[in-house]
Amino acid sequence: MKDARPWTYAALFGTLWGAIEATLGTAVHLGKLPLRGTIMGLAGLLCLVCLRRLQPRAGVCLLAGVVAVFLKVFTLGGLYPGPIIGIGIQALALEVALTGTGGRAIGAAIGGFVALATNPLQKLVTMWVVAGTEAVRSYLRLLQESAAAVGFEGLNPTVIVTTVATATGAVGAAGGLWAWWVAGRVMRRLGKHS
Amino acid sequence: MVGGGSGDAAPGETLVNRLAAFLLATSIVAVLFAPPLYAAWAALIAIVAAWILDPPALRAGLRVGAVLAIVFAASITAGVVAWAAGPQRGIETGGMVLLRLLVLTVGAAVLVRSVNAETLLRMTRKIGMERLGLVLGLALNSLPRLAEAAADVWTASRVRSDGAVARLRRLPGVGEVLLSHTARIAEEAAAAASLRGHSALTRPGNTLRSPVRVVVVTGPSNSGKTEVVTSVAGQLQSVGVDVVGFVQPGELLEGKKVGFRLRDLASGQEAPLASLSERDDGDFGTRFQFSDEGFRLGREALSRTAPESVVIIDELGPIELRGQGHMPAVRKALAVADLGGALIVVRRSLVPSLLAELDASDAVVIDVEDLGERSVDAIIDTLGI
Repeated sequence: MKDARPWTYAALFGTLWGAIEATLGTAVHLGKLPLRGTIMGLAGLLCLVCLRRLQPRAGVCLLAGVVAVFLKVFTLGGLYPGPIIGIGIQALALEVALTGTGGRAIGAAIGGFVALATNPLQKLVTMWVVAGTEAVRSYLRLLQESAAAVGFEGLNPTVIVTTVATATGAVGAAGGLWAWWVAGRVMRRLGKHS
Repeated sequence: MVGGGSGDAAPGETLVNRLAAFLLATSIVAVLFAPPLYAAWAALIAIVAAWILDPPALRAGLRVGAVLAIVFAASITAGVVAWAAGPQRGIETGGMVLLRLLVLTVGAAVLVRSVNAETLLRMTRKIGMERLGLVLGLALNSLPRLAEAAADVWTASRVRSDGAVARLRRLPGVGEVLLSHTARIAEEAAAAASLRGHSALTRPGNTLRSPVRVVVVTGPSNSGKTEVVTSVAGQLQSVGVDVVGFVQPGELLEGKKVGFRLRDLASGQEAPLASLSERDDGDFGTRFQFSDEGFRLGREALSRTAPESVVIIDELGPIELRGQGHMPAVRKALAVADLGGALIVVRRSLVPSLLAELDASDAVVIDVEDLGERSVDAIIDTLGI
C-alpha cells in the first residue's frame, strides 16, 4: 500500500488551519480587530510552511488549502467569500513559491509576501461581492480621506492600496521566515532532521 | 449533499427535499447577484427552503447572536455608504448586506448538518475523486481529536504561566507544541490507513460490541488454527452448548493454498468462499476471487446467534478489519446480548488491529504454535464452559 502520510499530513494541517480560521478567525472578524487579515495570514503561513517542511511533496499545501476552505464553509457566515478567497490564494502562493524554490526558506518568504500582499485586494473583491460597487467606492474614498487626515492629501486610491499591499507583503515575508524557523523547531521536537 | 439525510424518506418527501435543496442553492446565488427587490424575494425563498429541508438547522443558523452580528455588520456598512454617497444609497447597501449575510448563514447552517465523512466519500467516489473524499473525511473525523489536543496544550500552558503577560509570551511555544501534536495525529492516521486500508481514514472509532469472554486464536499460516477451533466447536456441542459461526478450511493443491471453503458449524453445510485467481486480479486487493455463496452462508451461520451462544469466527482477515467481507454480520452477531463467549481467529500480524477494534479489555490471546496440543483445553478453560 502506498505511503498515506502526505495525504494525512495535508488533511491534519488543513484541519488545524481550518479550525483556527473557524474559531480565532470568526472571533477577530466579528470583533473587527485591527490587522485581522494579517493575524490570520500568519497563522495560515505557520501551518503551511510546517506542513511542507514535514512532508516535502508538491501539492500538499494546495490540498491543505482545500481542507481549510472546506472546514471554513461550515462556520457562521462561512460562505462569506473573503476568508475563502484568502485561504485559496495563500495555499496557492505557498505551493508555487515553495515548489519553485525547491522547498527552501526563500520560498517561504516569497510565498508569505504574495499571500499577505493580496489581502487588501481580496478585501476589495469581497466587499464588491457582498456589498456591491457602491461600498467599494465608499471604502476607497474612506481610504483617501484617512490618508489626507494624516498628511497625504490627493493620493490616488491605487497608490494607497499598493502601498498597503507592499507593507503587508513585507510582514508576510518576515512571517514566512518565522514560520520556517518554527517549523524547524517542530521537526526537531518530532525527531526529524531539518 | 443538502438534504442528504433523506435516505430513509418516502419518495414524495425526497422529491420535496431535492426541490428545496435546489431552491436554496439557487436563492444563494440570486441573493449575491440580483438587484435588491429580487434579492429580497430570493432571501425569503431561501429561508422557506431551509425550513422545509432542516428546521433545526434554520433555528441554529438564526440564533440571536448570529442575527445581531449580521445586523451590526449591515448597519456599519449602511453608515459608511450613507456618509460617502448619501442616505438612500446607504440604506440600499446596508439592506443588501443584511440579506446576503442572512442567506449565507442559513445556507451554511443547513450544509453543516447535512455532511459527514461517509456522505463525502460517497460523493467524491461518484466523481472519481475518492482520495479527496478520504482526506476531507479524515479532516472531519480528526476535528474532535485536534480540539482535545489544543485544549490540553492550552491547559498545560496556563498551569505553567503566571498571569496574562506570561501566557502571551508562551503563545509561540503553544503553537509549536500544537503543530507537533498535529503531526503525531497525522502519523497515527497514516499508520491506521496502512494497517486497515484507506477507508480507515473516514471511519471514526467504531468498535465491535463484544461479549464478556473473547478468545483470540492466532498462529502462523498452516499451524492448525482451523483444526483447533473445529475441535473446540465439537467438544462444546457435545456438552449441549449452542455453537454458531463458521470455519474456513483451506483447499490445498500440491501443498499450495488455492482456495477456501466456508463451513457452517451449526448445520455442517459448506460453500466455496474463495479461489486463487490465475490472472492476479483478485477481489478486495487480494490474490483470491470471492464467491457470494460463501459470504451468504457466513451471514446465515452468524444470524443464528442467540443469548448464551458461543460465536466462532474462523477467521477475520484484513478485508474484515477494513469493515468489508464478513464484518457486518460479525458486528450484528457480537451485538447480541448475553453471549456465552466468542472465539475469533486472526493471523498474528492482525492481532493488535483486532484488539483495537474489540470493545473488550480482557480478551485472551492464545497462540496455537506456543500451546500446541494444549490449545483446545486452554480455549475451553478460558471460555469457562
